[in-house]
Amino acid sequence: MAGSKPNQMHLKYESQIREPLVDGNKDYHQITEDIIRPIEAKPSKLWYIGFSISVALLLFGVYSVYRDVTYGIGQWNLNKTIGWGWDITNFVWWVGIGHAGTLISAILLLFRQGWRTGVNRAAEAMTIFAVMCAGQFPIFHMGRVWLAFFIFPYGNTRGPVWVNFDSPLLWDVFAISTYFTVSLLFWYSGLIPDLATVRDRAKTKFRKFFYGTLSFGWTGSTKHWQRHEALSLVLAGLATPLVLSVHTIVSFDFATSVIPGWHTTIFPPYFVAGAIFSGFAMVQTLLIVVRKVLNLQEYITLGHIEAMNKVIVLTGSIVGCAYLTELFMAWYSQNEYEAYAFFYSRANIFSPYGWAYWGMMFCNVVSPQVFWFRKLRRNVVFTFFMSVIVNIGMWFERFVIIVTSIYRDYLPSSWSYYYSPTIWEIGFYLGTFGLFFTCFFLFAKYFPTIAVAEIKYVLKTSGENYKERMDKVEEQKVEEFAHDYAH
Amino acid sequence: MASNREQFEVSGNMKTWSIGLMGVGILAFIIGFITKGLSSDEHQQAIFWGTLLYNSIFFLLICNASMFFICVTTLAHGGWQVTFRRVPEAISAVVPIFGLIAIFILFFIVFGLNHGDHNLIYHWRIPGNDQIILKKTGFLNPPFFVIWTLLSIGLWSYLGMRMRKLSQESDETSMNPEQGNRWIVRNTVIAALFTVWFGLTVGSTTPWLWLMSIDTHWYSTMYSWYTFASSFVTGMALIALFVIYLKNKGYLEYTNDEHLHDIGKFMFAFSIFWTYLWFSQYMLIWYSNQPEETTYFQPRTKEGVWKGVYYLNLVINFLCPLLILMTKNSKRNYTVMAFMAVLIIFGHWMDFNQMVMASISRDHVTLGWLDFGIAALYVGMLIFFVGKALAKVPLIPKNHPFLKESIIHHT
Repeated sequence: MAGSKPNQMHLKYESQIREPLVDGNKDYHQITEDIIRPIEAKPSKLWYIGFSISVALLLFGVYSVYRDVTYGIGQWNLNKTIGWGWDITNFVWWVGIGHAGTLISAILLLFRQGWRTGVNRAAEAMTIFAVMCAGQFPIFHMGRVWLAFFIFPYGNTRGPVWVNFDSPLLWDVFAISTYFTVSLLFWYSGLIPDLATVRDRAKTKFRKFFYGTLSFGWTGSTKHWQRHEALSLVLAGLATPLVLSVHTIVSFDFATSVIPGWHTTIFPPYFVAGAIFSGFAMVQTLLIVVRKVLNLQEYITLGHIEAMNKVIVLTGSIVGCAYLTELFMAWYSQNEYEAYAFFYSRANIFSPYGWAYWGMMFCNVVSPQVFWFRKLRRNVVFTFFMSVIVNIGMWFERFVIIVTSIYRDYLPSSWSYYYSPTIWEIGFYLGTFGLFFTCFFLFAKYFPTIAVAEIKYVLKTSGENYKERMDKVEEQKVEEFAHDYAH
Repeated sequence: MASNREQFEVSGNMKTWSIGLMGVGILAFIIGFITKGLSSDEHQQAIFWGTLLYNSIFFLLICNASMFFICVTTLAHGGWQVTFRRVPEAISAVVPIFGLIAIFILFFIVFGLNHGDHNLIYHWRIPGNDQIILKKTGFLNPPFFVIWTLLSIGLWSYLGMRMRKLSQESDETSMNPEQGNRWIVRNTVIAALFTVWFGLTVGSTTPWLWLMSIDTHWYSTMYSWYTFASSFVTGMALIALFVIYLKNKGYLEYTNDEHLHDIGKFMFAFSIFWTYLWFSQYMLIWYSNQPEETTYFQPRTKEGVWKGVYYLNLVINFLCPLLILMTKNSKRNYTVMAFMAVLIIFGHWMDFNQMVMASISRDHVTLGWLDFGIAALYVGMLIFFVGKALAKVPLIPKNHPFLKESIIHHT
């Protein structure tokens, strides 16, 4: 009860059953060394190769977009009735990926999941880059991109040309821009103490200036930490509903309509689950590479990878439950249009896009079930492979939802021909990969990929060497333990 | 603290209250049965059985939510809940009893309420010439209903019992970390089975079968997740209530404000989550405005007579938790938490009331003495059986590998 004075030793206790979150014989200084050193060293050859490929992809994307703007989006293969194709598929896919970071920083913080400290920084960075990529698609989909500012409601002289507040597309503008802002603030405010550490270790004038500016004069005083913690809490509180709201509103883009296959009430939570699913898969893809290249296996341990695989099997199963619910209701509702969308256009493997539906089912529902097995959850190579499979599956989910619902309208005369993208649609998509990885490579080179301060925070409860010293506490009788703690 | 506080004893007061409530409930049941159940007016009969139906499902699901809570915290390797874990265990011990009652009521409705060309509650039972319902009989038919109901309740009870047995096993000998780990893995396996089965039943099929099929034509993919959210948040409130009661009686010495605070967070978060699902279901149906779907909301909103209950529901289950449970202090205050727990249980009970009764009696609100009487019967049974289950085993699982973490838990 309140008023007791906890014993220091007991405050740092954690069950021996839990795996350490930091392996090896670490102290505070060693942690700083391990994580900051790659920033101070020259980039490796591998980094240059990866970075160059990313920039090349980005340039191809820029050229594709340049053509889109110059010649119009008629150079895409969108047609009647497929008004949304690869562009909106890619938009939803990237927004979905951008969910894991904030989930890890905000919701897992609330759930007090200590393992988040190893992966939150990189996941948050990934979130920001993914949302940046996502935003491109609806903007260029508008066609006359120079009028994109029309989406903002502000006093203007355009007379009756005004935003439609009843449209979920407008809600998207608010949801995504808010999400982006809060995620960015969260990520950056977390970076400040670490950037100050980099500044303090800097040897050149330029580095001192660069990291000094970015760290806003952080001195690590108690006052600074106090404010920092208060800010983190407020941002976590703000970010938690945002994790749900963004994909909820993306799902409204579809579900508020009366299009068969789009209009269904389960869409909001099911989209959120799918977004977290794909977000975690992308975190795995990136971090499995990062931990190897930057030698961070002691901070991003097999335990971390296993925990994320558990989230993947959980969210994959939730998504599976939603798929089957939809399929069931298409029959149960006895609505012939729903039945056509689900049983003819999707579940029928011989229909034009049947392969995409079953590909999605396999990648998102069947394949993650292998993660019920501990051995596979802790297999790094296998996890990497699976994370790619999941992201392919989640791309197909959006493709299936969008295209199979609209390629055949009510009248056979409004049935479109088979939709496949042009090189410029593909180029645009590849370009966002370029943007994403270019940003990520720069981030991994110039910023600490792991939250140094937060790892130090969990070291004394969950570091391998500290846990070894807890044997005595572990053997203590419960009554004694509680007595010691209370006095 | 004295060691006798480790073993719960049912106090005279508790016994009196539970038996008193049961007495009131049985009286209401008898009067209800005579005035409504045996009435020549079919509508009155439907109200009688409908009232039994939603009460039996509501109280069954909120007790089962306790086992769900244990299983998910086990799967997540949660440590904080261990000091009071025996409380949800005891609540879940009621599942087989409430399950049996629910089975009896459900089966009686399916087989005993067929009046000529129709069933009083489940229209799919005798579809007549209704082409839509006829095509749904692949799912809505008595054999499947019976099998699925028995399987649902049977496996919740069986797997729940296995979890409780395992928990009691740990009381026998203390475990070193290695043995503790093995024990946790055994727990995990059963918890995973329970959780998957929970998803296949509460998270999807069972609410369709028991509840949604009352409006046989109507459908909503969200329905079961909504039902889950409603019953889970109530389950958390129920756990809070028993924890507070035991604390007030001087039991659960290792449970403190920190644990209560976290239970409060669950109540707060899942109240918001329930509202999120409520809004998503309502808004999407309102927005697309298709008659097949809006029919469900007609008695409940706008000109519908259930409007009052429906919106009060939203105030109690959303606004109150949002405003009252938002601050840290309220979640650490025993009085506020007890009040909120009662309010949430009442609010969601009313939610179940409108989910069932507004479909059975579209033209007038039935909330009255019978509802409160049957609820009293259930609350009485709940107190009685949970009290018994609590007294059976020590209140603190003293060898649980995460108990020490739970003792120093700091929110």
